Amino acid sequence: MSGWVVYRRWLRDRARSTIVWTVGVVLIVVASAAFYPSLRGVSSGGLDSGGSAMSSLLGLSKGIDPGSPLGFLWISLYANIYPWMLMALGVALGVAAIAGDEETGALEYLLAKPVTRTTVAFARFAGAATILLVVSVLSGLALILSLPLLDLNNAVTSKAADGSTVTSPGATAADIFNGTFSSLAVAMGIAGMAFLLGGVTGRKGIALGGASAFGIGGYVLYTLSNMTGSLKALTWISPWRWYVDDAMSIFGLTWSVALPFIAAMVGLLVGWLAFLRRDLQNP
Amino acid sequence: MDSVIETEGLTKQWGTLTAVDNINLRITAGECYAFLGLNGAGKSTTAWMLLDFIRPTKGTIKVLGGQGSDPSVRARMGYLPGDLNLPRAMTGKDAIAFFGGLGGGRPHVDPKGLIDRFGLDPSRPFRELSTGNRRKVGLVLAFMTHPDLLILDEPTSGLDPLLQEEFRDLLAERKAAGATIWLTSHVMAEVERVADRVGLVRDGKLARELTMAELRHQATGQIRLTFPTSVDVNNFARVPQVTDAQGKDGELLVTVDGPVTGVLQRAAELGATGIETEKRDLDDIFLEMHQAGGDAK
Repeated sequence: MSGWVVYRRWLRDRARSTIVWTVGVVLIVVASAAFYPSLRGVSSGGLDSGGSAMSSLLGLSKGIDPGSPLGFLWISLYANIYPWMLMALGVALGVAAIAGDEETGALEYLLAKPVTRTTVAFARFAGAATILLVVSVLSGLALILSLPLLDLNNAVTSKAADGSTVTSPGATAADIFNGTFSSLAVAMGIAGMAFLLGGVTGRKGIALGGASAFGIGGYVLYTLSNMTGSLKALTWISPWRWYVDDAMSIFGLTWSVALPFIAAMVGLLVGWLAFLRRDLQNP
Repeated sequence: MDSVIETEGLTKQWGTLTAVDNINLRITAGECYAFLGLNGAGKSTTAWMLLDFIRPTKGTIKVLGGQGSDPSVRARMGYLPGDLNLPRAMTGKDAIAFFGGLGGGRPHVDPKGLIDRFGLDPSRPFRELSTGNRRKVGLVLAFMTHPDLLILDEPTSGLDPLLQEEFRDLLAERKAAGATIWLTSHVMAEVERVADRVGLVRDGKLARELTMAELRHQATGQIRLTFPTSVDVNNFARVPQVTDAQGKDGELLVTVDGPVTGVLQRAAELGATGIETEKRDLDDIFLEMHQAGGDAK
């Protein structure tokens, strides 16, 4: 009962910012997709001139054709902007769940009431997951609705480098679901990391900086490793390795999508256990 | 009598800093106990341990027969922090509904009477409230469930004199209803009006505990006597009601607990040329006790 009250209140305190995030993400998603009609049919050959560095930055692997509907959505949204936006939101929510309120002293008053730390931790993590889900679902739906308007649902035939013709399928709702769901997974993973750091330290700066560094550092590590071929062994730590390599909005969901959800659960459990055992900061 | 708060060897250390050092407390039901000390003495740290915000390094705590971490214990407690912080957009009305909804099975009390009493505008968000109005929100939240135990950290800080009076009345009502009150303060006037017993904390240690009657006893009068020649202080040693006499070279300071007739009579016999009287208030006693390490007599 008290968990539901805490969960509902936490969502209510974030109602306005959730609306702003949702509108912002929807606008960016639709605006990015709106460039498709002018880029349709442009083959990856033009991008190849940038070499492996550019391809790596754009997530172009396995011969993904950026002129195809799915290839375009991949390089313009799902390989970079979209997961970045959700990850930023995930970090903000993961930090706010414990460390944010703890630093302002607002958590102290709540914990003076008949509610356990366990209830607060789980209710707020559930709140963070709910907001991420809402933003993902609404932005995914907006993109699905935009597909026919932007001609992204139609197949495209183009000429390959060897002169043969290649027909690429149009994007479907299932493709958008796959891309959105895998991005949500990454965001949940990083939210779990922010939650863990907040739960362990109670410090907003450490949680925010640590989780952001993990996301950005993982991207840099994966991209540079792809370009140089070195440090490959370390890229398993980067959430981008499986995300970009698997390109689920194009090739479909794989079991790798479970990894960030598992990481989020580990973050929740470790953060919760640490939160139970330590003193509050700045009471 | 049942103990509502009981600590044994309560100690809190952060590295080399000992914020609370081996404190033993026993506060009984219906008692108003004031925890006095200067800033940084360890008052709030003790309150945080009672509420399980922080855990003792050593020692034990019992609150209302259980632990401060137990929701059923917290349901019977009202807490006013030294500096209340709530989500910035939360209005007083939201706060009452939210925290009231976490009542832990405690019967809800209509907070309207408290809102009217403190003149609180419950529609304004927390970010727009002045320090005094935040205090009012905190008081309404602390008292609205008619708790059995109130933990109040500097409760009147930021309140104007009229509201301080209102607060004292409210406190007296809760006390009459059987509630136990534990408050921290460094305003002796406030303590004098509401407390039954005080604990003086200094550098984390409970330097002294005494009842208000004992504390008031310390606030006895002093008479400064001037003589044309040097007078031996022992002349006043056996005078009734005199508890202390100090001085030299014709200037004596005599502390009197009760009627001063005997002192005046003796002073006249010795040819006193000047008499000044002064009454020490509790603030003076408090400071003296602190300066003397809690051993002022």
